[in-house]
Amino acid sequence: MEKITDDKIRAGLEVLKNLHDSKLLTQLNSCVHCGLCAESCLYYLTTKEAKMIPANKVDMVASIYRRYFTLTGKIAPGLVNARELNDKTIDELTDLLFGSCTMCGRCVKHCSIGVDIEYVIRTGREMLASMGYVPESLQATVDAALESGNNMAISDEDFLDTLEWMEEELQDELNDPKAVIPLNQHGKKVLYTLNPREPKFFPLSISAMAKIFHAAKESWTLSTKMYDITNYAYFSGNPEHSRIIAQRMYDEMQNLGAEKLVLAECGHGARANRWEGPNYIKKAFPETITSVELIAAYFKEGRLKADSNLTEGVVTLHDPCNLVRGGGIVHEQRYILKQVAKDFVEMTPHGTDNFCCGGGGGQLAMDYNDRRMQIAEIKAEQIRKTGAGIVVTPCHNCVDQLSQINYTYKLNVQIKTIAEIVADALILE
Amino acid sequence: MHWYQWIASGAVAICLIVFATHFVRLIRLGSPKDYSKKAGSPAAGIVYSFTSAMDPRNKESAFLHLPIYTAGIIFHIATFASLITFFILLANFQPGPSFQIAAALIAFSGSLAGLIILIKRSLDKKLRWLSNPDDYISNLLVTIFQLFTGLTLLLPVLYPAYMLLAALLFLYMPVGKLKHIIYFFAARYHLGLFYGWRNVWPLRKA
Repeated sequence: MEKITDDKIRAGLEVLKNLHDSKLLTQLNSCVHCGLCAESCLYYLTTKEAKMIPANKVDMVASIYRRYFTLTGKIAPGLVNARELNDKTIDELTDLLFGSCTMCGRCVKHCSIGVDIEYVIRTGREMLASMGYVPESLQATVDAALESGNNMAISDEDFLDTLEWMEEELQDELNDPKAVIPLNQHGKKVLYTLNPREPKFFPLSISAMAKIFHAAKESWTLSTKMYDITNYAYFSGNPEHSRIIAQRMYDEMQNLGAEKLVLAECGHGARANRWEGPNYIKKAFPETITSVELIAAYFKEGRLKADSNLTEGVVTLHDPCNLVRGGGIVHEQRYILKQVAKDFVEMTPHGTDNFCCGGGGGQLAMDYNDRRMQIAEIKAEQIRKTGAGIVVTPCHNCVDQLSQINYTYKLNVQIKTIAEIVADALILE
Repeated sequence: MHWYQWIASGAVAICLIVFATHFVRLIRLGSPKDYSKKAGSPAAGIVYSFTSAMDPRNKESAFLHLPIYTAGIIFHIATFASLITFFILLANFQPGPSFQIAAALIAFSGSLAGLIILIKRSLDKKLRWLSNPDDYISNLLVTIFQLFTGLTLLLPVLYPAYMLLAALLFLYMPVGKLKHIIYFFAARYHLGLFYGWRNVWPLRKA
């Protein structure tokens, strides 16, 4: 790792110095080190290492704040554990804030004080980003998005080929040549987005959603210019990169003049566009909803009908952290599953108390793989205890991690998105 | 007023001035501006943050650690009760015997709870790792303050020592984590605002 310099220290401290409001100051002064958050964190639960306690991760950032911005920290740093920003601190910060946190926010809900631990972690990552210490593989993901327009650097040619293939699949399945995947059409009601994992690894989820749009007789389009829902700069901590990516989505929305932006099944993508995006560009987005909300609305409006007998076996649901704790979408996915599955069982715990799958916070784009699979043990056990044969999750990032969990922990389950399980159970008129 | 009352009063004034600067700074910095389209009610979120979200049944930090959580609640109730008692005694009010006994019992309960929390912090390996000297000093100072509040109510001869001890506590309060007497409320406000805006709070059961 590159040695720290005075310029880097200045850049890192600038993040703590520039207070835009009272939120950061509050978080940095609130933790009382009660340690009761430990059992809410899957890193601590699976490693039992004290350094993994969320309060310690908060303290890593707060200790630097105390050292440089409080009188006590300047006069008696040992009294309050006020730490210098040096190479050793940077190593620890990188390992804990990038390598040991999925930013799932579970500890926030259960903190005895109410510290927004996730916000402090994000601030710490912003400090590291401003000093140039973002893990290479995560930065490469962000760079791919900045340079190519999608985080997997899928070429236009490959993307179009995949869509053409999926359109043919859709037409064959429906035996209807009018079933299409519309591209770059102006003035549609819905501009739909994708997680680049879909065209790259899971193209059938694109045709599943196209089938749903077709069944609901929706007026929709995809953009070939800006379809990537993800914004990995939210995880890398670079506000300028976050802004550029969010602005592109906003611009494409304006360009195509769609009524609403519908976010594909991606927890952090939903958060990055619905909630964080407007704050990155300092402008409200047009109406933005998740596909989960849209599909639930289709069922409620009678635009979709499903036969739950078509779904065989026990179905369970994994709640993506950014959708439930970060976005308040808890009931819609359950409502949908009750339309398409006869035997639905909840994990314990679930909803806003659900455990992260271990793939959040950019973990799938970083090289902490052994640790990532170690913390996944909790999710594996949650799934095993349900006895389910199908695990549904409205997040492609979670699908990826759950697939690896399925293999590593020999769960022998199918992993599906909401669109996939709905598409399989649809009654087409 | 006796000299020890002047010292205690001076310490209270210093503490209040420092806390007032913290409070004014928070107010001047204001709440974050959110450009996203509001989905819920920030006001309802804030109310929830200070009420149901604090319900021990909704917090793992409470229901998974019920004994130490209970000790913490007793400790904090007794701290506020002891502070009120301190101001009553500083102003030379003579509370009635029933108040004295009740206040002393609360203060003693608090100091016992504080001692339990201190022992846990000292013996629990992960908590020891997490703690800095300020964590122990803050805990110890408040525990002794509560103990002396109770003792002074029963043994007035301890009054001068109690005033000096209180002065030490008030001078120390702005130094370390005891600042959370202000920041706790700010933290819960921000959490309620954040989750209320996004319609996560008030929580709807899944």
